[in-house]
Amino acid sequence: MSSSLLKRLEQVSRLTENAVLILLLLSMIVLAAGQIILRNVFDTGIIWTDELLRILVLWLGLAGAVVASRDRRHIKIDVLSRFLNDSWQRIAGVVTCVFTAFVCALVAWHAGVFVSGTFQFGDTVMGGAPAWIFQSILPIGFGLIAYRYLVYGLATLLGKELG
Amino acid sequence: MDLIVPIVLIVLALFGAPLFAVIAASALWGFYRSTDEGAWELLQIVPVEVYRIAEMPILLAIPLFTFAGYLLSESGAPRRLVRLSNALLGWLPGGLSVVALAACAFFTAFTGASGVTIIALGAILYPALQQAKYDDNFSLGLITTSGSLGLLFAPSLPLILYGIVAEVSIDQLFLAGIFPGLVMLLMLSLYSFWHNRHLRSSNRFSWREVVAAVNEAKWEIPLPIIVLGGIYSGYFAVSEAAAVTAVYVLVIDLFVLREVRLSQLPQIVRESMLLVGGILIILGVSLASTNYMIDAEIPSRLFEFVSQKIDSPLTFLLLLNIFLLVLGAILDIFSAIVLVVPLILPVAMGFDIHPVHLGIIFLANMQLGYVTPPVGLNLFIASYRFDESIMKIYASTLPFLLILLLSVLIITYWPTLSLALL
Repeated sequence: MSSSLLKRLEQVSRLTENAVLILLLLSMIVLAAGQIILRNVFDTGIIWTDELLRILVLWLGLAGAVVASRDRRHIKIDVLSRFLNDSWQRIAGVVTCVFTAFVCALVAWHAGVFVSGTFQFGDTVMGGAPAWIFQSILPIGFGLIAYRYLVYGLATLLGKELG
Repeated sequence: MDLIVPIVLIVLALFGAPLFAVIAASALWGFYRSTDEGAWELLQIVPVEVYRIAEMPILLAIPLFTFAGYLLSESGAPRRLVRLSNALLGWLPGGLSVVALAACAFFTAFTGASGVTIIALGAILYPALQQAKYDDNFSLGLITTSGSLGLLFAPSLPLILYGIVAEVSIDQLFLAGIFPGLVMLLMLSLYSFWHNRHLRSSNRFSWREVVAAVNEAKWEIPLPIIVLGGIYSGYFAVSEAAAVTAVYVLVIDLFVLREVRLSQLPQIVRESMLLVGGILIILGVSLASTNYMIDAEIPSRLFEFVSQKIDSPLTFLLLLNIFLLVLGAILDIFSAIVLVVPLILPVAMGFDIHPVHLGIIFLANMQLGYVTPPVGLNLFIASYRFDESIMKIYASTLPFLLILLLSVLIITYWPTLSLALL
């Protein structure tokens, strides 16, 4: 694969992330504000809004976590690696990335088992919508984070700088 | 294995593995080890616990307030806030330093002490302080310290997060933070006046400037009134106040003042939601690790252990202070809240410490952590932002650190300060 194609892919996925974040956040703002207006002006409300808002928080949180993984901006302690020389720093980078990828893959796998369970039992949310659709962000989110850290781990191992 | 795995996890964390992954791993490992032959199917508890994020209505406040705060910091609000405080306080000797403290505290309350304050307000205040002949060390220390000053004022994110984790009323926490926050502000102001007593301010108090500054900031002034007034009149829940704030700031900055362009929005959303994602995923996985710890009866064993060694609440508070200071120097405030509060809350309640007061103690100590060498977050941000060596930042922040330490002790041992308004 040529490097310009890779770059294009990076750009497209970055824009996709932005679009998803904006869509989720704007729906959240509109729904939350709409609910307040309905309650105070029309003395009514849509029953499923509160539940949908809570699910949106989960989606936005995990989408944000995926984005934080790309930019490598997850909260961390990292007090020791600055005392290492370059090659040891690289080794530490590879080990922590592979570890993170492994943990997230494990969570993603079990999230997948959990979601397929609710799919089989036909659980519903918001008075009728299939729950598994809303829960699917768990395996997707953790899967994407695992993928990100695997790529970073490999890139660090090969000594390549990524975006 | 029971000893090796935790040690390996701690080492990985110290070498820079993301904290959420370390916490998730400890929860996975804990559940796996809960039967002798290894309970593979119990690992499902971890994603199920993360899904509980969708069962906490109050969490809605976190993305909405964070977004509003980031949006504000991109607009002209920081500049207007400084002008307004300057019009009100700038005529005092050393007044500009108090302007910095007040403006930063207000701004941090809305942006949640994530370093945004130093970057947004520092860029305006630091040159202004230099121009007014404040000495360099004082100015650097002041800005670095001010970056986390508003933590105890509503609607700061750490207050909300503590309320969620400790299951205490966020309305009450907002009230409880007022006096302790003011004590910190007052003590730092007194030091600033004293340190700069020889500096005569060139500003004179002018009603005309006050009116002009108020007029310029007329769109931002209603914000605290909407948030606090809305909540305490019973008109809004906390998450509703967050929604109103987000809509209000969005409309004002994008359409009324037109200071933020639509094309800037994706980057602002990305930056703010990146922070939200980082916090929520840590919250999610620590729900799982807390679940494991409660299954393993760790909090009650901890209480038994502590109550055998310590018999007076005062000794407990002293040890708590020391523990939290060390914790705050290592862990960021959000991880510290979700990880440690479930452990110490039952112990503190055993010593008859009010959970709201504990929250204020906890956050006040954590605020110190932002400026405690060697790894306080504000120290790095200031070093990076003002291009000064980290050693110089350490030295310049030290007097402020000591004053904050004193105020934290006052807040800890004088519960009435936190509980008077409840």
